[in-house]
Amino acid sequence: MSSRRAVRSGGFGEHALSRRSLLAGSAAVLAAGLAACGRDSPVSSSGGSAGSSSGTRGSLTIGAIPDQDPEVLQRLFGTLADSMSEALDLDVTYQPVTDYGAAVSLFRTGDLDLVWFGGLTGVQARLQTLGAEPVAQRDIDESFTSVFIVNADTGLTPADDLTPLADLRFTYGSETSTSGRLMPAYFLSEQAVDPEGFPAGPGFSGSHDATISLVASGSYQAGVLNEQVWAARLEDGTVDPAAVVQYARTPEYHDYHWLAGPQAVERLGADLPDRLLEYFTGLPAGDEVLELFGAGAFIPTEAANYDQIEAVGRDLGLIS
Amino acid sequence: MALVGPSGAGKSTLLGLVNGSVPPTAGTVEVLGTDPTTLRGRSQRELRARVGTVHQHLELVGQLRVVHNVNAGRLSHWPAWRAAWSLVRPQGLPEVLAALEQVGLADRVFERTERLSGGQRQRVALARLLVKQPELVLADEPASALDPVLAERALALLAGLAADRGGALVASLHDPALALRHCTRVVGLVEGRVVLDAPAAALTVGDLADFYGAPR
Amino acid sequence: MTVVLDRPQAPPRLNRVRRRWAWGLGALAVLGWSLAGAGAFAGDVVNPAGAGQFGRFASAALSPALDGEFLRVLADSVLVTVAYAALGAALAVLLGAVGAVAVARTTWGRRRLGWTLSRGALAVPRGLHEAVWGLLLVNLLGLDPWVGVLAIGVPYGAVTAKVFADLLDEVPRGGYEALLAGGAGRVPAALYGLLPPASGGLLSYSFYRLECAVRSAVVLGLIGAGGLGYQLLLSFSSLRWEQVWSCVYALALLCLLADVGGRAVRRRVAAPRSSGDRLRRDPMLSTAVLGTLAAIVWAWWYLAISPATLVADRTGEQLRYVLSAAWPPDVDGPLLSAVAVAAVDTLQMSVIAIAVATAGAVLLAGVAAHPPRDAPVLRRVTGSAVRLALLLLRAVPPPVWALVLLFVLLPGVLPGALALGVYTLGVLGRLAAEATEELDPRPRAALTAMGARPVGGWLYGVLPAATGPVLAFALYRWEVAIRDTVLVGLLGAGGLGALLASRVSAFDWGAVTTVLVAVIALTAAVDLVSARARAALR
Repeated sequence: MSSRRAVRSGGFGEHALSRRSLLAGSAAVLAAGLAACGRDSPVSSSGGSAGSSSGTRGSLTIGAIPDQDPEVLQRLFGTLADSMSEALDLDVTYQPVTDYGAAVSLFRTGDLDLVWFGGLTGVQARLQTLGAEPVAQRDIDESFTSVFIVNADTGLTPADDLTPLADLRFTYGSETSTSGRLMPAYFLSEQAVDPEGFPAGPGFSGSHDATISLVASGSYQAGVLNEQVWAARLEDGTVDPAAVVQYARTPEYHDYHWLAGPQAVERLGADLPDRLLEYFTGLPAGDEVLELFGAGAFIPTEAANYDQIEAVGRDLGLIS
Repeated sequence: MALVGPSGAGKSTLLGLVNGSVPPTAGTVEVLGTDPTTLRGRSQRELRARVGTVHQHLELVGQLRVVHNVNAGRLSHWPAWRAAWSLVRPQGLPEVLAALEQVGLADRVFERTERLSGGQRQRVALARLLVKQPELVLADEPASALDPVLAERALALLAGLAADRGGALVASLHDPALALRHCTRVVGLVEGRVVLDAPAAALTVGDLADFYGAPR
Repeated sequence: MTVVLDRPQAPPRLNRVRRRWAWGLGALAVLGWSLAGAGAFAGDVVNPAGAGQFGRFASAALSPALDGEFLRVLADSVLVTVAYAALGAALAVLLGAVGAVAVARTTWGRRRLGWTLSRGALAVPRGLHEAVWGLLLVNLLGLDPWVGVLAIGVPYGAVTAKVFADLLDEVPRGGYEALLAGGAGRVPAALYGLLPPASGGLLSYSFYRLECAVRSAVVLGLIGAGGLGYQLLLSFSSLRWEQVWSCVYALALLCLLADVGGRAVRRRVAAPRSSGDRLRRDPMLSTAVLGTLAAIVWAWWYLAISPATLVADRTGEQLRYVLSAAWPPDVDGPLLSAVAVAAVDTLQMSVIAIAVATAGAVLLAGVAAHPPRDAPVLRRVTGSAVRLALLLLRAVPPPVWALVLLFVLLPGVLPGALALGVYTLGVLGRLAAEATEELDPRPRAALTAMGARPVGGWLYGVLPAATGPVLAFALYRWEVAIRDTVLVGLLGAGGLGALLASRVSAFDWGAVTTVLVAVIALTAAVDLVSARARAALR
């Protein structure tokens, strides 16, 4: 009884009035359910599966692991989505995700069709999603590096020997970050430093930026992060060179790549991966997208490039 | 001195004005030679330390043991650390026991106060005044929850307490007989105004009964 | 009188209540053990060099981001948060009403086994934090608004069911049994004999849940469910403190509105206006109930929730995928020992957190309580300042506190524990202040009138009466703190939360099941101990 009155006096007049006859006999919640039809939720772009909002064009939802400043990601992938929409004649939308694991799960569930994964998350996603295909990587992803940084008070000077780090309070970035955790851990163990050792165990700062801040504060004496991010922070002056310095650089490894999901291929045609590769590799030098990605060009990639990551991931218990 | 008058006459307000818990809206109050409204901080506390009030046991903290509720009468004399320590190891136990002895509650000294009956609590409130040793004793219906024998004794204690320190007892009372037996002066209030002020010797129980307007 | 006086007197002895002393000493021992485990006695715990970084966070409080673009985004996310809170709380009340019937003593009568089992079943949804539900649901439903609604609704529904059942069970039985004896069926008898006396409590608890749901909706930002928490996390992970503070202020404002509104409704329920001889409803309560219903309908529309998602093939498929991966639980040796170590860390973290919060709450309760009308200006100003500070303490989510405290403390259990402690202080301080407000003011006034110092008056007039309710709240929050440790588990603070996050991020579902079982078992154990301790307090 009271719920019916709520509808009549409630603040969403138009929807309620146009269905007065229906409302008279039914619960308010049901009415609202009807009213909700045709409205896009503010929290999910409901790209692939719902898809009723668009016309004849196919739709593609792209995503990325949240490995750096989300605002930069928003600008970067927003620009990319516009460029792709135009070039591929598709409704391309960018769906931000706040969690590495969520990006993998959402790729598996088909909420995200094409995702910019890191090395490890790409492997995880591919192993969980039958038919997922690596599409492309940047030229720089072939030879990716991380840097170990130390607090200036440790008095350490740049070197290739990682063993002095073993006695310092040490933090990685996000737990499943390839450049902030996985590959550095691998290179540490190569030099006989226990990657899960360190006094009181390693920390997980959650992001590359937090790693820099925590090492600068001295709470952690050393840390490791993506060299690209490090270089950018050095350049824009957010790093205090008196507080935190670079100690070592890792050898090169494969990292980021685009992974296309099977549901998008099913929906948009078997040639979708080829069309995507064509789009990425066809971007002219100096294109805005390439600039934003910090790349000279996109190049093809294949699953075999990530076998090493898969092996290390299994060693660390990150792939089961 | 006995304060008499019907409910709502202003007896409790008058007592509140004297002990400083009710600020006057007009006029001045003089207590033991000073105006309490002009005092602040330490001097205010020193004056208050010389005045003791007993309500109808409503001022007791049920969760505390009897001994602490009695010792609360000495908070004006104790430094803060001693007040705190006493909650762990009760201080000045002999005086507390002596006071409780006088009101017949010595065997309940470590009982939690909320376990006591209304009459027993009223006697705890009296014991609090006994350890406080005030010069001016204010009592708001001190005998209301007591049986006649205990009421008699309670008033005798209060009057004696005031007399020991050369001070006075001001008690609001409902029982005319009690008022005449224990007080030397009777003041009657009606709607906040003094309508009667006479020595007890000049009055009879009948006079006071008429004053309450109740046949007796 | 002589009878009284001549009673043979045994020398009075101070009998401490043994049970309470045992609990008190036990609590101290556990606290000492926790502090030792957190390394608080081991020397170096502070990192003074990080004060600058902490200062950057603190000083940003004075210059929150206020550019138009950001405020617009913020406004949208506030709407999403409100919508989640409204729908989540509505679902919780709905589930609670149904569940209450299933777990009430009234339903089971003398069949104790059935009652115990049904109660035990509630421990499962109740033992998991909303964020954990969110994390699991994201894997089933993807980025659907249902994630946020269910993540709030399911665990809250379980708590609500328990509380509703207790409220129904505590109603005096006379009327109900008279109706049964008069030949009424069980359902009509309950409607006439049980529901009316319990309705005040039910309504007031429902509004309390709505208040809590606002805070929980923010936490769900952690798993990308959207809303204010999501926005906060975006700003937080790039360390844009100005934006973080804008989010915190928006959240504080929401909490304040929910608090004030909820309190007004609960007060009115507790002290209804007399309606005389006409059948008339309280206009304020009617407005509140209708307004809430309207908000629920709006939220449904705004989030564009579709019930079809829940029964879609894809959802079933995902459920089968996760369940088949998650069963049987992983029971290999290294994992079990890691779980045991993490459980100890979690316990120590929660104990330190609750000790910090309780000590702070006891100290601040008097100041934070609303003063009487005629209080001096200074007293009223400090009161408002302390209340505002408490509001901010609980508006900044624990993970943010954890990172910020890590700037000035060395890594370990301690920063996580303190992060949880200051957050819990925000909640507990308010509860303690409310408990203080409801105390009888006369004992303290009497002490003041007799010349007691303010400290003495507080020690004898306020503390003894306030201790019981505040400790009871603290024990209740302890159980909540155990669940909240999941939020601060990362950053080397360890505990079951860190382990869970690590296993989820490795998609090791078998191990996830094991950790979840451990979390639920620990929560249930703490619940049991806390209930016993509360009983000893009464």
